[in-house]
Amino acid sequence: MIKLQNVEKVYRTSSIETLALNNINIDVKKGEFVSIMGPSGCGKSTLLNIIGLLDAPSKGQIEIDGSPVERYTDKHLAELRNRKLGFIFQSFHLINDLSVIDNVEIPLLYRNTSAKQRRELAQEALEKVGLSNRMKHFPKQLSGGQKQRVAIARAIVGKPEIILADEPTGNLDSAMGNEILGILQKLNTDGATIVMVTHDEAMAKKTDRLIRLFDGTQVS
Amino acid sequence: MLRHLFKLIWNKKGTHSLLIIEVWAAFMVLFGVLTLIVFNLRNYLQPIGFQYDQVWNLELSSNQDTTEVAAKLQRAMQRVKSYSEVVAASRMSSNTPFSANQIGNSVGYNKVNVGGDFYYTDGELFKVLDLPLKKGRWYREADLAGKFVPLVINQKMEDKLFLNESGLNKVVKIDDKTSGKIVGIVDKFKAKGVYMSDNPALFYMFRKDDRWNSNILIKTRPGTDANFEARLVKDIAMMLPGWGVEVGYLKDSRKNRDNLTLVPVLIFLIVSGFLLTNVALGLFGVLNLNIAKRKGEIGLRRAMGATESGVTSQFLGEIWVLATFSLVVGLIFAVQFPLMNVFDLDREIYIIAILAAVAIIYIIVTLCAWFPSKQAAAIHPAVALHEE
Repeated sequence: MIKLQNVEKVYRTSSIETLALNNINIDVKKGEFVSIMGPSGCGKSTLLNIIGLLDAPSKGQIEIDGSPVERYTDKHLAELRNRKLGFIFQSFHLINDLSVIDNVEIPLLYRNTSAKQRRELAQEALEKVGLSNRMKHFPKQLSGGQKQRVAIARAIVGKPEIILADEPTGNLDSAMGNEILGILQKLNTDGATIVMVTHDEAMAKKTDRLIRLFDGTQVS
Repeated sequence: MLRHLFKLIWNKKGTHSLLIIEVWAAFMVLFGVLTLIVFNLRNYLQPIGFQYDQVWNLELSSNQDTTEVAAKLQRAMQRVKSYSEVVAASRMSSNTPFSANQIGNSVGYNKVNVGGDFYYTDGELFKVLDLPLKKGRWYREADLAGKFVPLVINQKMEDKLFLNESGLNKVVKIDDKTSGKIVGIVDKFKAKGVYMSDNPALFYMFRKDDRWNSNILIKTRPGTDANFEARLVKDIAMMLPGWGVEVGYLKDSRKNRDNLTLVPVLIFLIVSGFLLTNVALGLFGVLNLNIAKRKGEIGLRRAMGATESGVTSQFLGEIWVLATFSLVVGLIFAVQFPLMNVFDLDREIYIIAILAAVAIIYIIVTLCAWFPSKQAAAIHPAVALHEE
């Protein structure tokens, strides 16, 4: 489902060259739940951004669902992100000026989906994360756990095959973190392929496979 | 997407309220200035209705002299006509073309009363000003023998006074004692300048023994210069000792009148230009700040499937929605002007001004939003998400 071959990422400024990722080779099968672990600054988020097509590698190939994406235009990449990928972030990235349901609808705005259908799909996604009673609320009225559940609803509203989660439990207490992981596991059971970046060894152990990074290099 | 943008701006209306008020104020000022410009421009495009290039205004003032004023005026007139440099001359009231003087009165027909400018003249005015007739003829000496005062009106007066009828040969009431007969109708007579509207006008023939109307309009031959002017003033001053004698060129008077119209327009334009510049700079600043504050949102939207051009369109769309909120409020005020017929201007003038003001506001907000929106689109999504 996700294939990275010899991926390298170098950040260059006029005076410094930083090797963020070095020779990464990953093959995530359809329906797998993979976690990426490593110390701060080891390149976990960079790797997730590359998998999520938010950043381009300096070298190497990426395939999403069998299609190499190197030559994709901005429009194609945007469409692929919209259709195939769902993102969950540590800091939720909810828009405070929009209600919960309007936040969840965002990915559908970039498709030809009618307003009625958008509302139905968003309601369905919110029901899946147990927040159907908070649809009219605004993000500021929610707890951290609830915000992350909204973010999950937003990630799954377009029914993507891949969910990319960047430390989804990082800002939550352990009980809330376990609850969020439970939702992700349920989504994985329902068929979603999940790649999760985490610091938490216990969380990582609950996934199918663990990829470890150290100083930009894949160590397992 | 449009609905989404409306919702986004509506939910942030508190934050944007000052900006909405600023755009609204800019629209109202622009509407006022454009109304003035459209009004003047429309007038400018209308023909003035007469020739004035070679016409001089000889202004005679009897001062303390009260004896035989009418006879002296007739003699002066004869003298003026005798010069070979003079093509035609006509006596008229002090409200000569482009002068600041105005004589207003009303005229009635079948219970319809119309106010207009009254010009008291002899039968020669049409020769001096080359006033073409649409219907009928100009009045002449023989007409004074009749029961009614001979009159010529302009088309505007005919339209207002007689509605769909022809005014020719109709008898109208000027006051309780005086009635006049319309013998001719001219097209336009914009005596107060090219930027003035064509008001209803009435030409009223006075008798030869009239002593009150002491202006003489003189049409001179091309090439007539200041030497003749000096000679004329000297001769007339000698003929009429103690009288005031002044010569003015209608061409110069027209320039003065035009400036009187254009200067206020120019002042309003400068003021509104400053205001619009302030609005533009304000918008530019607010949008730049917005983008800095909303980097996370930009990254999120890119991650959710927005293209670079989609982000640009979103920010442009937001500013258009914001401008639309302001314009809706502005339009509520602006449409009252044509609906309530304020200042008695044509509705068309207000409508053109409204449409132009709306277009200018949208152009300004688009120009101001373009660069920040492009900047927003250029933000790398991974960087934007990381910064949040």
